[in-house]
Amino acid sequence: MTTTLTLDHVRKLYGAKAAVDGVSLTLEAGKITCLLGPSGCGKSTLLRLIAGLEPLNGGTIATDRILSGPTFHVPPEQRDIGFVFQDYALFPHMSVEDNVAFGLKRLSPTERPKRALLQLQRVHLADRAKAFPQSLSGGEQQRIALARALAREPALVLLDEPFSGLDAHLKAGVRDATLEALRQAGTAALIVTHDAEEALMMADHLALMDQGQILQTGTPQDCYRHPVSLEAARLLGPTNHISVMVVNGIAETALGTLDATGLSDGPAIAILRPEALRLAAGGANAEVTSNRFAGAESWIGLRIDGASRLDLQARMPTLGSPPIGTHLSVILDPSACTLTPV
Amino acid sequence: MTDLAAPQSAARPAGPSALKIGAWLAAGLAILPLLAIVWLALTRPSATAMPLSLIMRYGLTTAALGSLTAVAVTVLGTSAAWLVVMYRFPGRSLFSWALALPLATPAFALAYGYADLLDVAGPVRTALRASFGSDFWPMEIRSLPGAAFVLSMAFYPYVYLTARSAFISQSVCALEASRTLGSTPWETLTRVALPLARPAIIAGTALALMEVFADYGAVSFLGVQTLTTGVVRAWSVYGAPGSAARLSLLLLAVAAVLLWLERSGRQGQSFGANSARWRPLEPQPLQGWASLGASLFCLSLISFGLLIPAGWLAYRALSAAPEAERLVQAAMTSFGLAGIGALVTVVLAALIAFGAPHSHRIKRLASLGYATPGAVMAVGLLAPASLIWRGAGSGGSQTVALALSLLILAYAARLMASALGPIEAGLARVTPSMDRAARTLGETETGTLRRVHVPIAKGALWTATLLVFVDVLKELPATLILRPFNFDTLAVLADRYASDERLAQAAWPTLLIVLTASLPIIILSRKIMQSRPGE
Repeated sequence: MTTTLTLDHVRKLYGAKAAVDGVSLTLEAGKITCLLGPSGCGKSTLLRLIAGLEPLNGGTIATDRILSGPTFHVPPEQRDIGFVFQDYALFPHMSVEDNVAFGLKRLSPTERPKRALLQLQRVHLADRAKAFPQSLSGGEQQRIALARALAREPALVLLDEPFSGLDAHLKAGVRDATLEALRQAGTAALIVTHDAEEALMMADHLALMDQGQILQTGTPQDCYRHPVSLEAARLLGPTNHISVMVVNGIAETALGTLDATGLSDGPAIAILRPEALRLAAGGANAEVTSNRFAGAESWIGLRIDGASRLDLQARMPTLGSPPIGTHLSVILDPSACTLTPV
Repeated sequence: MTDLAAPQSAARPAGPSALKIGAWLAAGLAILPLLAIVWLALTRPSATAMPLSLIMRYGLTTAALGSLTAVAVTVLGTSAAWLVVMYRFPGRSLFSWALALPLATPAFALAYGYADLLDVAGPVRTALRASFGSDFWPMEIRSLPGAAFVLSMAFYPYVYLTARSAFISQSVCALEASRTLGSTPWETLTRVALPLARPAIIAGTALALMEVFADYGAVSFLGVQTLTTGVVRAWSVYGAPGSAARLSLLLLAVAAVLLWLERSGRQGQSFGANSARWRPLEPQPLQGWASLGASLFCLSLISFGLLIPAGWLAYRALSAAPEAERLVQAAMTSFGLAGIGALVTVVLAALIAFGAPHSHRIKRLASLGYATPGAVMAVGLLAPASLIWRGAGSGGSQTVALALSLLILAYAARLMASALGPIEAGLARVTPSMDRAARTLGETETGTLRRVHVPIAKGALWTATLLVFVDVLKELPATLILRPFNFDTLAVLADRYASDERLAQAAWPTLLIVLTASLPIIILSRKIMQSRPGE
């Protein structure tokens, strides 16, 4: 694997507040990295720092040369990094073709339209080459913006919330087309999103970000199964958490024991994904307190019998889901549980 | 990873860009004459020529004229805008742009027309005497109320245009909500539409008042002594730059207040506009007398503001052969000056718009120039100029060149802000991420300007050029003060004929201005009519 870009302890201050606070990250050629975080966590700022649209206050951003440091700054036009903006930023006074050819100054004038057309074919919009951006749908505009960024064959392309402006029914199609175009181009890609499902589906590597800091990096599966903290777990979807005591490498819960190897004795938090709760005989007694229909699956509220009141949310197939008031037995799937120290 | 040495050739520290420096320079040019005024007022000894009582009288007259005009333009402009936006009546679509046409008429044209038409020996009063035996005409046009009437007719379009765009940007949703909550149309106007449009109306009235206080040609012809005529008299009759500067300082204070009003009005304008649920207003048809009344009201505004005075001037002009040579010479001079002035002004305004798109401080400096009367601007420019004059000696062609550059500079300083408005509106289509997109696609800062900003704002740049062109064509006081000897524009020529009571001759250059200015004004007002909020 070849490293395309390295961020080393990058810091960006707005006044006294650190929008990006000591971020280190590596992007690899041909891999898609998703940067997931809530709005305002600094992820879009990080993209702008990488693109060179803003200077940074600390750390370095480097390819095979240093691009950004506290005292020097390569201007964005010399970085060879593509950017797909959240609002697409297509130039309204240029045709689709001219938009895509905008950055192709290093090609000869005769080559530019050919390259633009090739890029448009890759996003299946060659027939709209002469159209103007305003006449295109949101999904088409997004693909034009992507084609424009990729036309220069950058080593890295950055995508800022690329699907946030699209209607729900369009998202899946545009997302697949985007992935296909990125794979075909073979560049490294960094996609910023606040949508956990989107990040899990698209990423080769996932980086979880909150309050200017990277919480965790890894494969999507790894991050989902083994969150390093409650905050990291919550970024990837709904969680239940239970306070537990670790004694001799074992954590005791109302639903059974969990393996706590590697944790020192003392209080800890057990993080349970909703699918960790299963209906099966021989577990803890529970009462169904709510049943919210959500299509193929339903959200089931469970109150576990025990010394202290414990309310948990489970997710299970709608077919055969228990009605409110049912008393039943619940067991825990340890593979969907994580223990973290408090 | 390979070698991590920083490539110094490609790297550069972030600093103020050349464009930003250009923007500051442009704003500096606009503010330079105002600084000179302050300096003059403080350093020149109090001249014996102009007593304090006279200055007081000028001030009071100006205040009275301003109050009367403010009320009139507010009522007339707002009513016309409300009718045109809310109702359907015969001629509505024509009126909606034609109501802006008096902007093509310089105020002095109206003054000439009415003074002559309503003179004791004029046709109206002669006809009255013939029919009724006595002449009971109630209002002398060469008076304070007369001047207020003339200026109101000349400047109501400022209120009309801002009020109209405010009413249009109001979503029908807000007005319908008011109706469903039990308000009558009249209550909807007074409780919802007017309060929503109030900031815009105030801004329009402030603009109109800036023009009133800047006017020289109309009030001096009608014999009303305002602060602005005072400035010109102090300069040219009394030869007292100190007095002129102190009067100017008063006008500057008024200008600053108006500017503040206009700014705060404009800031409030955004509420209600551009909301996601914006739906266009569907005008209601008016029936019978109401419909006739609406048409007559709009027609009379256009008649009093343009048709009657311009028509009478045309009639008078045809009774006398023009002094063709002088007229042609003045027309060439006017068009040349207006062309060069417009170009210089738009380039400076574009520097501000491109170089400092987010700096309110720079724009406020530029708009202070707009609020400053032309006479004040001229006095402010002459002070530093006289230093250069003395230093350079009075070589003939050099003096002319210097005077002409000062004149262009005065136009630019005064009109930069009015060019800035449309350019900024045009640039509103350039989102910040378009800038960044161009940069990440390999364009430099200036390259982005050339390939993205300028093409997108091209229409707006032309609009700004036309606006400034028309304003320079109509400009009188600054030209009067700053022009080289025997260098007459159409407006100066008209003023000289008129002050010699040669009205038929004065009508020729005046009508030439009106005709030339009409075409751009028609194009611009029709363009404004077609635009909708959010576009």
